[in-house]
Amino acid sequence: MIYLDNSATTRPFDSVIDAMDVCMRETYFNPSAAYKPAVDVDREMRACRRLIAAQLGAQEDEILFTSGGTESDNLAILGYAETLHGSGLNFVCSAIEHPAVSETIRRVEKLGIEVRVLPIDRRGVVDLQAAGEIIDENTALVSCMQVSNETGAIQPIEALSALAHGKNPKVRVHVDGVQGFMRVPMHMGRMGVDMYALSGHKIHGPKGVGVLAVRKGVRLVPQTTGGGQEKNLRSGTYNAPAILGLGRAVAQMAENGDRMEQLRAMKLRLWQRLSAIDGVRVNGPAPEDADSAPHILSVSFDGVRGEVMRNALEGAGVLVSTGSACASHKQKVSATLRAMGLTGEQADGTVRISLGLFNTMDEMDEAAAQMEKTAALLARYRRR
Amino acid sequence: MREVLLVRYGEVFLKGQNRPFFLRKLVDHVKEAVQEVHGHVWLSEGRIYVSDYTDQDEAIRRVSRVFGVHSVSPAIEMEKDSFEAICAQAAKMMEKKTGTFKVLAKRSDKQYPMDSPTIMREAGGYILDHVPHLSVDVNHPDHEITIEIRKLAYLSVDRTMAVSGMPMGTNGKACLLLSGGIDSPVAGFMIAKRGVELCCVHYHSFPYTSERAKEKVLELARILSEYCGKMRVYIVPFTEIQMQIHEKCPENFTTLIMRRYMMRIAEILAKKDGAQALITGESIGQVASQTMEALGCTDEVVSMPVFRPCVGMDKSEIIERAEKIGTMETSSLPYEDCCTVFTPKHPATHPRKELVRRAEEKLDTQALIDAAIEGTEIVEVG
Repeated sequence: MIYLDNSATTRPFDSVIDAMDVCMRETYFNPSAAYKPAVDVDREMRACRRLIAAQLGAQEDEILFTSGGTESDNLAILGYAETLHGSGLNFVCSAIEHPAVSETIRRVEKLGIEVRVLPIDRRGVVDLQAAGEIIDENTALVSCMQVSNETGAIQPIEALSALAHGKNPKVRVHVDGVQGFMRVPMHMGRMGVDMYALSGHKIHGPKGVGVLAVRKGVRLVPQTTGGGQEKNLRSGTYNAPAILGLGRAVAQMAENGDRMEQLRAMKLRLWQRLSAIDGVRVNGPAPEDADSAPHILSVSFDGVRGEVMRNALEGAGVLVSTGSACASHKQKVSATLRAMGLTGEQADGTVRISLGLFNTMDEMDEAAAQMEKTAALLARYRRR
Repeated sequence: MREVLLVRYGEVFLKGQNRPFFLRKLVDHVKEAVQEVHGHVWLSEGRIYVSDYTDQDEAIRRVSRVFGVHSVSPAIEMEKDSFEAICAQAAKMMEKKTGTFKVLAKRSDKQYPMDSPTIMREAGGYILDHVPHLSVDVNHPDHEITIEIRKLAYLSVDRTMAVSGMPMGTNGKACLLLSGGIDSPVAGFMIAKRGVELCCVHYHSFPYTSERAKEKVLELARILSEYCGKMRVYIVPFTEIQMQIHEKCPENFTTLIMRRYMMRIAEILAKKDGAQALITGESIGQVASQTMEALGCTDEVVSMPVFRPCVGMDKSEIIERAEKIGTMETSSLPYEDCCTVFTPKHPATHPRKELVRRAEEKLDTQALIDAAIEGTEIVEVG
């Protein structure tokens, strides 16, 4: 089996599983307890905070552990909205946000905050010129994903933040970094990011754990109340095994300094083979472009439905996804691809390939060969 | 004194000399149904009783899904010697009720010193005295408390209506063509309700339909099996047949020819499984392949009777049934079952049999069917 759906989730590193195993079998103590074994776990958790903070240009005490990307996005958007007073404010997000953002941001309308949407261009990148007209002095929050989960387009976060601060120096910037963290660089200070959401299981860590990094000075209203963990912002017993697993994943990713080049080399190899197939098109920036993430490739096969392609590839032992995995059950045409100007039929013909560090060059060749074969076979049976 | 379930049965009553056979089947199925909650089941004087279960609500839910059961009531079983004690228990059971009530009495023990009208009058008076917020309404009461005097006394107030029908396995076996849509599970349920055992056939068009589509069909079969017990699901690989039809036959007949292949294969599998009829979810005129001419065209390739219990139902009626049975939610999952790649733009609605037969001639029917049967996967469900 060749697993090419790493944007849905990744296989955890063995070292991650081992770290979690130890934490469940032996060091199972509640990190908030007062005795030494518990304090030891707490200390290990602090080490994880430092590791993660270092990847973001943030500080240890700016890292909040959550259950994952969705919760982090919810806390950032709703938690910040609830601190605001005054009327006439607006929140701005891109047209291609993950539902964890796009659905959540709709909820602030009830608080009297207007929601505005930034259009994207045909390459799937936020249109900065349009952004200059949409963001104004009343914009309180700009939320934009770091990397599109559907096309791999890297968004111009730094430019967007600068633009927004030019209009309103007090604006906050939130970035959903679930698809970007540790595969595309992020420095919150330099790039002007106030809140950054990430998820453990997209970087070979465990599911059910994530982070919201919140820069000092950003006030949030907790969305979960209880025992007061995480400076009262996220109550609930620490998911210590998952947090330590996440820390281990970050450490192992960091040890592999060439990881982005490895991923990009595989992506380029795959695209080189695929681009030779008749009627294949890439969605989003060209794979060799600087703003194309190293691990995501969205391609359309002319006249072949993405769903059928995915099923057939599964039969050939290659696992990919149509659109994004969270949305692909819904069987509606991807909003991202439509926003990029694809017709319904083109969007319908899309397959998303996403790479991880367990993939190999040989797998790229094998997968490309299978896709070539399948595309040729399926093209025979188009609707007449 | 203890809690039991009082299980009433419906149509089985109408049976003459065969009644013991039907009753035995029914009792067996009730036993199977309560196995997981460890219920003890026995038959006595025209009622089935269940006792010693670990979870009453679950036992009621399970028993009310047994075909042949008309209704289920939780009841108090107690000694009948002290009528005062019976009245006190009745009053206790009515304490939390509001509005109007009436007492219904049945006496199968004719030695009992009071007759039914007397029991009703006396117990009613007692309840009125002890639960003063209730009043009597003999015509349209909000609650009926039933007092039955048998070997022991049984008191019951609440009643859960069950599925009725005939005990499973008393009317043979039929093979359901299960698509994953809304109609076919309803059709299967309606026939199974008449005591007919089921097996299912599903046509799988990988890669045009996904693993999830198959999983969905198995889940529908599992829901049906809650009513009709274990069954076999035959998953037939259908892609090759669809592709050949698509390549070699006129487009306006492709759906129809596909239906004919489905019927032929289903009949073969049905015979293998010991079934004597086919069941489909078709309804007149719902889609092009379900016009009267089209149904005639699909029927002519099989010799078994084809049951179509939804044939006269509107879509809304079928949906209502599906919701009641519990298959609607699963049926609504958006996985394709019959792929749109193969759906013609303008299917024939009034096909002539001769033309369809001729259109089919280019296909090697026997070889295609043999290969499909050869590749069939059998899944036991329930």
